[in-house]
Formats: sequence, structure tokens, C-alpha cells
Amino acid sequence: MLKILLTVLFVLAAVPNLHAEKRIGVIMTGDIPYYGTIHDTFVTELNKKFAGSEEIEIILQRPFPDPIAWSNAARKLIAFDVDLIVTYGSPAAHAVIHEKGRIPLVYAGFYEPESTAVDMKNVTGCGFRVPLSSILRYFKRLKSITTLGIVFSGIEEDSVRQFEAMQRLAGQQDIKTEKIDILSRADLDRLKTKDFDVVFITGSSLVHLWLDDIVSILDEKRIPVADIFPDDKESGVLMTLYQPSHTQGEMAAEMAWQILLGTKPSDITTYTFRETELVFNLVEAKHLGINFPIQLLIEATRVIE
Amino acid sequence: MLLSLSARILVRALLVCLLICSASLTIMPVYAFEQPDELVIGIEPEHNIFDQMERYRYLADYLSVQLGVKVRLTIMSRYGEVLKRFKTLKLDGAFLTSYTATMAIKELQLEPVANPVNLNGESNSEGYIFVRKDSGIRSFQDMKGGNIVFVDPATMEGYLFPLAFLHQHGITDIDSFFNRYFFSGSHASAIFAVLDGRADIGAAKNTTYNAMTNNDPSIQQELEIIARSPKVPEITLCLKSEIAPDLRERMANALLNMDKTPDGIKTLQQFKALGFVKASKEDFFIIENMAREALGSITVHGK
Repeated sequence: MLKILLTVLFVLAAVPNLHAEKRIGVIMTGDIPYYGTIHDTFVTELNKKFAGSEEIEIILQRPFPDPIAWSNAARKLIAFDVDLIVTYGSPAAHAVIHEKGRIPLVYAGFYEPESTAVDMKNVTGCGFRVPLSSILRYFKRLKSITTLGIVFSGIEEDSVRQFEAMQRLAGQQDIKTEKIDILSRADLDRLKTKDFDVVFITGSSLVHLWLDDIVSILDEKRIPVADIFPDDKESGVLMTLYQPSHTQGEMAAEMAWQILLGTKPSDITTYTFRETELVFNLVEAKHLGINFPIQLLIEATRVIE
Repeated sequence: MLLSLSARILVRALLVCLLICSASLTIMPVYAFEQPDELVIGIEPEHNIFDQMERYRYLADYLSVQLGVKVRLTIMSRYGEVLKRFKTLKLDGAFLTSYTATMAIKELQLEPVANPVNLNGESNSEGYIFVRKDSGIRSFQDMKGGNIVFVDPATMEGYLFPLAFLHQHGITDIDSFFNRYFFSGSHASAIFAVLDGRADIGAAKNTTYNAMTNNDPSIQQELEIIARSPKVPEITLCLKSEIAPDLRERMANALLNMDKTPDGIKTLQQFKALGFVKASKEDFFIIENMAREALGSITVHGK
């Protein structure tokens, strides 16, 4: 009888094991506001989900955007034996996948995840897509374009894909492209010497670390800039067409929660967010001497005046 | 021959009666259909109202000369305002899109007069429901939980048709079926919203859609039409029934015969049309039925 009682007590004592502390490792591809918003929402939502039931420890890695740094961050989290890895941006996700670890991975802030190979058993996540053709369309409604400058980073896989997509779109419309591959700060000087009518900035972490400097250089040359990440600091980007990243933070938290409760990542459907916001900066337009047609302004989700 | 006094009085009385009767017979029609000093015609706003006003101003000038009555234009602030503002703006008529024309014919007893024929030879338009090709939406089932952009509650192509389409597929509560819906205010804006990803599904009229895809072929590569409405008159000049039949007829004749005179042809070029065709109330029965099916009544609430 005593044995049975002890067994029951043991089983009951083991049940709270579900509430044991969980550790989540997070890697940002770069310490930029776009991923910062995803992370803030992720943490808030996760805390709501586990409120009072379990303590969650989050180990945040913010490496400088560089392949070795991403790889080191991934290895560090694997060495910590975290219960789950969450990444923001495709380079960080690829770095974790490359390590072939067994730890489940949830990615977010990943541009068009369906167009690259991340379909693995222990991987799920959400990403985003921005119709780059719309940026070209709005540019053309503002001024005639002969040459489009595209700022990207050759070390970031998603940034390269955006460069290629925009180059293809421009080619279809007989617009020449000028590529500006940013691998180090010294590469910013190339913006001073090249000629283009407008510039598109891809969703690169490295590029966004130096966004103020880039915009400043282009501002001096009176060249309008468009970006697919929001210009939260209002650095002088003329138009931004972006996917509001907090929704990815919410979904990543939901996915993480389910995995920590025992759901297999392969049983969680991946998702690509497509809704966007369009912001025009009229202060910058005035500075550049661009007169925004009213028909264009009414398309904006927000206008900076 | 001398008449007696009573007979003379009787004759005088008869003459007076005849005079009064004849006078009243000639005055009465003039009182009912007075020749106005001017005709105030309303216009529903399009995407570019400046361009639109300029086009319509040529037409108003031409009609002023032809009718001998000043034709003045006034733009209504938004679609569907005609029902609310017809009286306050003291409008004599309006160029109306199909759904507002249907409502105005029913509610305000306006008479449809003529429809412009666009440069493609079409006086009709149809509604499109469209999505981005990469959206994964192929049928109405795939629309569930998405974001849809309409044009305005008073448009057939941009609201009534998509509602009727959904209704035919058993969807009566769009609030619960969609994640979000919103009104863009113009057909072009609805198309841009879907192109940009600000909406997953859009509804707009074919003439705007086709004009945009002709200007920018990349749009056609990105969008896919998944449903089309029946064709209805795109724009109809409707006049209030109090306007003298003679003036209404002269207005109709002036429009219907524009393409037969040099001045008329020049004005049509400026107005960007090939001519006008006669409108009839029967043209709007299809919209009336659509509204009753989708909304339960012909009038959008608040219009």
C-alpha cells in the first residue's frame, strides 16, 4: 500500500517537470530595429503564454553581420544545449541549419522562406515578402529612371535574392541597374562615385547598420532612396514598403510555445506574411525637390510631414 | 340684330370664361417645366479629379452652346453622395456610375439619358475580383481569413459585385469571413493595394484595371482575375424628372449626335470618348437584383 502511495506521489511530483525552466537561444542576423521589433514582440508574447507556469530564459546573440560571427553564435547556443533556437533573418537561420544540430529551430524575419531550402524536420518558422515591383512602380511615378542603384550585401543570402529580383524587374522595364555590394564600411564610398537616378536598399543587416551614412551620402547627391525595412529614425528614406515585423514576433512566439509544449516543428506549418505598409517621407521629398502627386500620396499608409 | 341685356351679359360672361380658360391652358405647362437659367450637373469623383474636371468641362461647354442653357458642373465629394446631396446641391442631373445610377433612378426618380462610349468602343464596364498571382488564392474558399479591399460602398464593381459573389457562395457575414476589409476610395487605389500587399484580395472595375495594365504590363504579370461581374453601363447621365421633356430630349439629342458634327467630334476627343449611346432604365435591372440579393435592399445604408 505504501509502495503504491509512494509511486503515485512520485508520478505527481514528476508532472511539474513540464513546468521546468526552458532555455531559448535567439540569434539576430544583425542588431537592427527590424529584428529588434520582432524580438521585443516575441518576448512579450512568450511571457504572456507562459505567465506563471514556467520560467523562460532567453539567451540573445547579436553578432556583427558576418558569416563567422553567425556560425559562432549558432555553435554557442548548441553548446549551451538550449531547448529551442529562434533566429531573425535568413543568414542566422542558415548558420544554425548548417550546424546540423538536433535542437528545434524557429525562424522569423526570413525573406520569402519558400524560395530557399529550409524545409527540414526540426525547422519551422515565418517570413515575409514585399512586392519589389511596387517600389519600382512608385519610383517611376515620381521621376523618370534610367539607372537604378541597388544596395545589398553579398554575404547575406536574402539580400542577394532581393538584389537579383529587383535587377530582373528593372531589366524587364529597360532600366539599367548599378549594384553596390556592401561588405565593409569602406564600400560606402562607392555610393559617392557611381551614377544612378534612384536607389533601392535591400533588407540587409549590414547595410542597415550604416543606413544613416548611406542616406546621408545619397542625400548630398539628391538621390531618392526606397527601403523594404521601416525607417524608424526617419533618416531620410523617401519611401518604405515593408511588412510590419511585430506580426512575425507574435507568430514566432506561438510556434516556440507549441514546440516547448511538445509539438514537433514539422507539424507546425510555416507562414509568409505578405501584408505591407507604405510610408512616404514628404520632408525628404521637399528636400530632394520632388513633388508628390496627390494620387500617389493617397496610397500611403502613413505620410511623414 | 340687337341682343337683349341678359343675352349680352351671358355672351360677356362666356367670353371672360373662354379667356380665362385659354390663358390658363397656355400658362400651365410653362409653370411646370420652366426653362432654367442653368443646369447643374454633378460628377462622381474618379482617381484623378483634376483630369476628370477638365474633360467634363469641355463637355459642359459644348452642351451649354447646344442647349442655350448654361451647364455648370459640380464634383461630389465621394461616390454615392448623389442621393444625399442631390437636393442640397440643387442638382438637375449627374453623371453617375452604375450602382449610384440604379439607386438614384429608384429613389430620386431620375431619368437615364445617355452613356458615354469610351475610346475602346465600350459603354459598359464589369467588376473584377483579383489577387496577386503569388498569393495562393484561387477560389473563394482561399479568401477566408484574408484582407480584402473594396472601392466604396456605392460602387457595383468595387463593392456590390464582390458582396453578391460571396453571397452566391454562401458567405453573408464578411466581418467573420475576412480578417479585415477596407475601402480604398478609388478603383486604382484598390489595385495598388493588392499589388503592394496591403490587401490580399481586391475588387475594381475592368476599365481602370485594363488602363493600368496597358500602361504598365508588369501589373498583368502580377495579378490574376478570379471573378468577373456581368456588364453594366459604366457612366450614365441621369436627369431629374422635373426638367422639361423638351430640354431633356434636346440634351439627349445633343449627346447622341455629337459624333456627327465637327464641334461634337472635337469635344468628344477632349472628353476622351467616341460618342454617347441611349440609356434606359432596363439597363439597371441587373444591378437592382444584385443589390436585393446581396444587401436585401437596393440602397446602401446611409446613402
